[in-house]
Amino acid sequence: MPEILTAPLTVSFPFTRSLGPVQSAFLTGLRERTVLGVRTTDGRILVPPVEYDPVTAEEIRDLAEVAPTGTVTTWAWNPAPRDNQPLRTPFAWVLVRLDGADTALLHVLDAPGPHAVRTGMRVRIRWAPERTGAITDIGCFEPYEGEERAGPAVPHDGVFDDPVTGIVTPARLDYTYTPGRALSRHLAALAEHRITGERCPSCRKVHVPPRGVCPTCGVPTTEQTQVGPHGTVTTFCVVNIKARGAGIEVPYVYAHIALDGADLALHARIGGIPYDEVRMGMRVAPVWTGDARHPDHYRPTGEPDAGYDTYKELL
Amino acid sequence: MSGRTSREPVAVVGIGQTKHAAARRDVSLAGLVREAARRALDDAQLSWADMDAVVLGKAPDFFEGVMMPELYLADALGAAGKPVLRVHTAGSVGGSTALVAADLVAARVQRTVLAVAFEKQSESNAMWGLSLPVPFQQPLLAGAGGFFAPHVRAYIRRSGAPGGVGALVAYKDRRNALRNPWAHVHEHGITLERVQSSPMLWDPIRYSETCPSSDGACAVVLTDRAGAARAPHPPAWVHGGAMRSEPTLFAGKDFVSPRAGRDCAAEVYRQAGITDPRRELDVAELYVPFSWYEPMWLENLGFAAEGEGWKLTASGATELGGELPVNPSGGVLSTNPIGASGLIRFAEAALQVRGRAGEHQVDGARKALGHAYGGGAQFFSMWVVGDRPPTT
Repeated sequence: MPEILTAPLTVSFPFTRSLGPVQSAFLTGLRERTVLGVRTTDGRILVPPVEYDPVTAEEIRDLAEVAPTGTVTTWAWNPAPRDNQPLRTPFAWVLVRLDGADTALLHVLDAPGPHAVRTGMRVRIRWAPERTGAITDIGCFEPYEGEERAGPAVPHDGVFDDPVTGIVTPARLDYTYTPGRALSRHLAALAEHRITGERCPSCRKVHVPPRGVCPTCGVPTTEQTQVGPHGTVTTFCVVNIKARGAGIEVPYVYAHIALDGADLALHARIGGIPYDEVRMGMRVAPVWTGDARHPDHYRPTGEPDAGYDTYKELL
Repeated sequence: MSGRTSREPVAVVGIGQTKHAAARRDVSLAGLVREAARRALDDAQLSWADMDAVVLGKAPDFFEGVMMPELYLADALGAAGKPVLRVHTAGSVGGSTALVAADLVAARVQRTVLAVAFEKQSESNAMWGLSLPVPFQQPLLAGAGGFFAPHVRAYIRRSGAPGGVGALVAYKDRRNALRNPWAHVHEHGITLERVQSSPMLWDPIRYSETCPSSDGACAVVLTDRAGAARAPHPPAWVHGGAMRSEPTLFAGKDFVSPRAGRDCAAEVYRQAGITDPRRELDVAELYVPFSWYEPMWLENLGFAAEGEGWKLTASGATELGGELPVNPSGGVLSTNPIGASGLIRFAEAALQVRGRAGEHQVDGARKALGHAYGGGAQFFSMWVVGDRPPTT
């Protein structure tokens, strides 16, 4: 039993967001050190603002400016900040109801320790020195001794020069990936330039690559079987546009290949022959290069083409 | 049939969709779904308060990077105090969303349900979302069309179809889209020659035979008999609905004509009492992401015998004005906000039997098929709608 493989898998992407009118005004306002909320149908001020009334579902567009000072409504201490969190030093996650608002905003509070944080404490915004129209334009909150500002939020038209209409929100997820026992066995064999599948004890079909279970019968597969190395091109396409991040020159042939002894086709590139001479039924063999685990491509073997009847059930 | 007599008949009384475009930078995700939902409510002359539940569908969360968007979109869809359900079945999800909503009404769990589906492809990159760098695997080598093109070649080989049938489909659907104000791609001055001479991207698929990447949303209001009686416009009635699934890859999978698709069609026809779909259905909105899938689905769905689908297309039968118009809206080839695409098919089928399809109305349409599929031909969902209530 070879070792079960494991490796990090990082998924990250710079997603973009079209803001729409309300978020655009809110984030542009932060850039200008102005915090805007929105007035609901029943007269409450929501900060941060939303586009639709949470109770009546009506479209709400009446914006109002609230104070940069507020009151902590609840909090949690974060002793070990992670990358990309607003502060590098330990901080408190806080919900802050800004003066003039009826709801609380989630942000962080710069404090020396949990002993210095309490529900009901007064805080104010510490603005980031460089502001772009993002929630991080509020660098953090900091303790503040002043009383709650009296009076309601002040109506605001939400109009600013050069409004922010879209933002980029990078997302990143870190996983530890393991392909499991069956695929680990297959991958270990591949490293030795052998291609293996597993046979279902019920339907007797051989799946390549194996997944440890027959997807048709739902029973575990345990019988290893070596397939190929020769196989038949069942179908293919000629790729004329470069896929993102692929280093292969176009045109090239992307083929489905049924290895001898396998009951379904795998997908691979065809090389060693001009792209316009590849045929359904062509016989091919894998070509490994360097110390790569997977074959780089498949090349023609020179055998006579397989008859259509021999692979038509594999299309 | 006795099993269905206990079900409440379900009517489509409101339909709305957004203007679809490559990038709807003028609206947030909330604003996008809201636009479609608002139009569906207006069509039904109902308010948010009239909705008893909301069912939301979209394709993978990775497509926009908003995990559980149903949480964020609850306000925009008037879901406060109501049940919200999220549906996800890859590209077929729009259809599945309508069926989940229809079942809530049919089972008399709710009386009136809002079903909404969307995708805002411009916020991310669907190809990236579908090709995460899984360790130990070779990356997908061929891009979006590379998955589909080998199956098209297999269909051509199996059926003996001449090479130009795909171009006929694209030429038809893109012309139909010119009659549909909501469609994304409006290719004015399109000619068959232009389709035939467009770049060959994934031989045998040309550029003009591929679906666009769209931002858009679609919404329908489903209700019971009492709700239908109050509706201001003629409803469409659900005569049958079915979903079927199969693994994406398994030994014996028929990629050209997947069994799950055949079984799903058989079930939806059984419910609707249809024995000869080509004769009994007046119009079909099929999920055709690449042109050749029209003849492939015509066979899979029983409109043509195996190997004969391309003949139906080549005869002109599937054109607007033909014997069996397919995708009078312009189809997925003209508009593809992935998560919404299935619901748009279902909604367009309903628009046809309501006689409210405008410039792309099929004269006298009384029964229509809405079809969706996705996930590497893993999921299928379909409904048959008619202008009269079901009789069983």
